[in-house]
Amino acid sequence: MIRKIVTLTLHDLATAFKNKTMYLIIFIPLFVFTSLKLIDPQTVSFQKLRIGLIQTEIYNPVILRTIKAESALFSISSLSNAEEGKRWLKEKKIDGLLIRSEKNQDSLCLVVLRKDSRITLSIVEALSTVQQANEGRRLSWISDVKPLQESEIQKKSLPTWVLMLVLLISFIIIPAQVAEEKEKKLLLALLQTPIREIDWLFAKLFFGMISIIAAVIFLHLLGQFEVENIASYAVYLGLGSFCFSSYGILLGFLCRNQASARTLGVIFYLPNILPSALSDFSTKLTAIAPFLTSYQFYKPVSAILLDGEKISNLSYEWLSLLLSGLFTFFCSYHLIKKRWLM
Amino acid sequence: MQIEVRELTKAYDKKRGLFPTSFEVKKGELIAIVGHNGAGKSTLLKILANCILPDSGTVLIDGINLKDRMSLVRKIGFVPETPNLFDLFSVEYNLKLFARLFKIPFSRIEQMLNEFDLLSFRKNKIQILSKGLKQRVSIARSLLPNPPILLFDEPTSGLDFEMTKGIYQLLNNFHSQEKTIIFTSHRPEEIREFATRILILHQGRLVFNDSTEQYFRSETHQKLYKELYTQ
Repeated sequence: MIRKIVTLTLHDLATAFKNKTMYLIIFIPLFVFTSLKLIDPQTVSFQKLRIGLIQTEIYNPVILRTIKAESALFSISSLSNAEEGKRWLKEKKIDGLLIRSEKNQDSLCLVVLRKDSRITLSIVEALSTVQQANEGRRLSWISDVKPLQESEIQKKSLPTWVLMLVLLISFIIIPAQVAEEKEKKLLLALLQTPIREIDWLFAKLFFGMISIIAAVIFLHLLGQFEVENIASYAVYLGLGSFCFSSYGILLGFLCRNQASARTLGVIFYLPNILPSALSDFSTKLTAIAPFLTSYQFYKPVSAILLDGEKISNLSYEWLSLLLSGLFTFFCSYHLIKKRWLM
Repeated sequence: MQIEVRELTKAYDKKRGLFPTSFEVKKGELIAIVGHNGAGKSTLLKILANCILPDSGTVLIDGINLKDRMSLVRKIGFVPETPNLFDLFSVEYNLKLFARLFKIPFSRIEQMLNEFDLLSFRKNKIQILSKGLKQRVSIARSLLPNPPILLFDEPTSGLDFEMTKGIYQLLNNFHSQEKTIIFTSHRPEEIREFATRILILHQGRLVFNDSTEQYFRSETHQKLYKELYTQ
């Protein structure tokens, strides 16, 4: 009996190697470990706080002089205007941006990425300490702290969930379906009818796009999330669903069977979801993420949903999504024409 | 000639595949392609059905190059060895899907269901049907556009004696309707009665191409087949 169990277990392991499932067992922990290593550590060692100042802004000279004098504590970057400052903040080139407070001309408003982050607390504490050392206890220099993302936690995490849905359908569901049609020779049966290869590809593409858009709409209905810039969001969702459905079809085409498609899907899913979703927590991942197609979707969706950004200001992102989608669609067309692994 | 195959080649490796093969088929012929496993029978049929692309060579069907798939889809019906049907759907759905793609009226489906004794199974899902029934659905589906050429890959593989007889009966019926039929088989004895010509493939090469009578008269070819069969 034991011998039979061992034989069957070895057979299962061999099958897992054959259908490439085993790669996942190695790949997933390896990937998660690498990502965790890249997340910004809760540093015990001291790091300079990177503060941005606007060149054209008229600051209280005492505050300005004091902050600049504390070079061991602050690293100052001079920025041309508030827009550039916000961009630097989003790109994590600075930790906080100081602008003149609208309420009190002598005090400052600190603009940060997140109000409740450790870095915001550090800046406020450091400025308060510097102020106390120089002036004793007076009216605080910082009269206001403004986060760039003011929305509530559910809405803040919405771009991540949208990205997760899009990638789950694109990299897990679509490739498995394409591979199933190949594995069971159903695609060959369909190609015995007067449909062109491109018709089949378009059908699969529309299936993917409809599934993605329906899933996102369902999520919005459940969460009752309001979208300020609905037209831009719809266009982006359409473009994203096109690009990633096209990706999914290509992944399915690269595999002979469903098991391989699932494995390949996960291998593509994790690197695409993690750096994009975790880029807010890691400067290193922020540097890597722009090289991923998923980031070209996540970043604008995040900007539209959280900052009310418009598609006209996100031309690079939509263009790169469109081109990636067209490229992968062309590759799939080439493979179906060649009857690749069919 | 209805089918002209010229120097058709598809190599998987040095020994497996189909090596330069040429032959012609007249309208209304019933041709059996015989050979052992890996001889290249299925490869040849799949190339004719446009399922795989050849490395070189040409195939003309009614003077139309095989590469022009869209012009030929209504001329060729292909029945694979394992029925490739949508398992989760009913018999009727499978036929309707293909009828829609071929733009064939649904009355033709009724005709097919009736002709293939599938009326009582029309609402049954494919996954619960026996292999013989699946094969019948597969044949019915390939006949929907009423193609003049039918290709059958091992149509009797895995079927019992009665079902095998039924399939051969069907082939005979199609032949009597002046359809051109090419099918593959392991067992030349079975096809002795009705095949008009036999093509023997050995290691991807065509080694015999003549009438059934000639084949069974020729001891050399019988010996060759026996050798192949005992390999």
